[in-house]
Amino acid sequence: MSYIIEIEDLQKHYDNSGERFHALRDIDMKVRRGECVILKGISGSGKTTLLGIMAGLDHPSSGKVVVDGEAIAKLPDRHLSRFRGKHIGMIFQHYNLIENFSVRENVMVPLVPMNLDFEEVERRVRESMEVANISHKASMSAGRLSGGEKQRTAIARALASDPEIILCDEPTANLDRANSERFVEILSKLHDMGKSIVIATHDPIFDHLPFEARVVHMEDGRVVEEGRES
Amino acid sequence: MGNRTFAYFLALSLFGEKGRHISTVLLSILIVFLLSSVLFISSSLHSVIENALREEPDLVVQRVEAGRLVNLPLKWEEEILSIRGVSKVTPRIWGRYFTGVKGKSFLVIAVDFLDENSHKTLEKLIGETELKTFLDGRHMIVGYAVMEWMKSHFYKEYYNFIGRDGEIKKMKISKVLPKEDNALFADTIIMGIESAREIFGISEDEATDLILDIPNDAERDFIADKISSLHYDIRTISKKESRAAYDRMFNFKGGFFLSLFCVVLLAFVLILYQRYSQVYSREKRQIGIFRALGWSMGDVLKLKFLETLSVVTGSYIIGVSIAYIYVYILGAPLLKNIFMGNGNLDMELILPPVLDFSALSSIFLLYALPFIAAVLIPVWRISVSDPKEAML
Repeated sequence: MSYIIEIEDLQKHYDNSGERFHALRDIDMKVRRGECVILKGISGSGKTTLLGIMAGLDHPSSGKVVVDGEAIAKLPDRHLSRFRGKHIGMIFQHYNLIENFSVRENVMVPLVPMNLDFEEVERRVRESMEVANISHKASMSAGRLSGGEKQRTAIARALASDPEIILCDEPTANLDRANSERFVEILSKLHDMGKSIVIATHDPIFDHLPFEARVVHMEDGRVVEEGRES
Repeated sequence: MGNRTFAYFLALSLFGEKGRHISTVLLSILIVFLLSSVLFISSSLHSVIENALREEPDLVVQRVEAGRLVNLPLKWEEEILSIRGVSKVTPRIWGRYFTGVKGKSFLVIAVDFLDENSHKTLEKLIGETELKTFLDGRHMIVGYAVMEWMKSHFYKEYYNFIGRDGEIKKMKISKVLPKEDNALFADTIIMGIESAREIFGISEDEATDLILDIPNDAERDFIADKISSLHYDIRTISKKESRAAYDRMFNFKGGFFLSLFCVVLLAFVLILYQRYSQVYSREKRQIGIFRALGWSMGDVLKLKFLETLSVVTGSYIIGVSIAYIYVYILGAPLLKNIFMGNGNLDMELILPPVLDFSALSSIFLLYALPFIAAVLIPVWRISVSDPKEAML
């Protein structure tokens, strides 16, 4: 069995004025290639922290995190950044778009440090926007988009570097029902493309996905239950 | 990084967010413009002084009685000429002629036009002089501001000086010194020594000072000491002291410059602060996004460095160009008044173009380095923190 993400005995704590706060405790988790994992739990359960560590945006206090065969916690900044840019696509709760850049320019951001020809950059941007169904807004500045359009721009941006892994943090938290359903449709497309997907959410819309997904329940920084839904 | 992609992104950062850079660029242009203008004016004036000093006598001898300048006897001429190393001694009359109009005066410099040395010096100042014109003792050469002032008082071709005996001495304007010499000679009148004797009532065996030629530079101080010891009331002024006097003449404006510089410095500090806080607030999120999407610290620093360097260099080139046009083409309106504060006649200050590249480079470095540091330090501090934090 080939795993794209392997986490062993992961601990994450913050020390504040002599007090220790445990954000994640004893996490062991494996994600197979092409698998979709839904991290569920209430706010503060540790979902986003776990996602951040998988993305290399945050560092574990102890434990092992191997992503696509690379122990990312030990990588120096430059290599970790390159690794993240190439292997991981992030979709954030608040989209994190650069408001005064156009959709096309936002999608281009992860490709800038990748040393690609400009023609190749343009091709990837065009294809990602098509998958995310946002090509028709390519020239519009991100600040003028609706919530759904912002989300689709964020998806296009996450796909631009053609990563194996897509990590989504509360992707539908700021979307209405129709846009959330559209997001699930795109997610299904990504799953069909063979992407490994991890979603941190508490939105019930992910309870009934049109494809097979594994649900991991979290509470107080621990994995309390694992199941399978489809 | 793909060069074209990076260049496109750099252009996007610069021009896609005009609002972010516009106030910085405008203030930067203003700072560079002010600093460069002051630099251009002072460089130009220094070159004028340098040129003037080239024409200055090697040593001037005067007589001081009870602390007051008085006329000196021409018999000193022989005594001084007998000192080894002095090749020539020429009497001169030098002094201010006050018009009836309050506060207005001309600086009269009177020399013997027949004297070969004086003639040569004049030629350097005003070009070819018609010697014959001055032999009748009724002609003078006037500075540009003198001509303008006389014209405005209906003396278009001549001026009536009132002599010591109350008699009117009519002097025709035969030449006007070029505007380019206004910085030092705007209020100057050059005439024959005999005419000046008549106006000031100075007898034939006296002059206000003697000008000396001492060909060997190294001997000048030594000869000055020797001359000083001839009489207790003798005073000597060397080229070095003349330079110091000219420097004082322009350095009294140092206070104005200091005030101007303080304003500029304050504006600069404000820009730096604005840029620093802007990076911390607005750009913090952007840097966080870049980092989260695979940009290394080096990538972010490279973008921000080139972005700032472009802003700084662009503002610098525009600021220096505007200053050049303002000072050398438009004649530094308003700012030049600072330099003309002690001029008793209204005049147009003509500043010959001088480019001091070392000073221009210093301005660039003094302005660019703190500016780039004010951007790169916060960028670096944000970049080293978790990208996640930068996006919050």
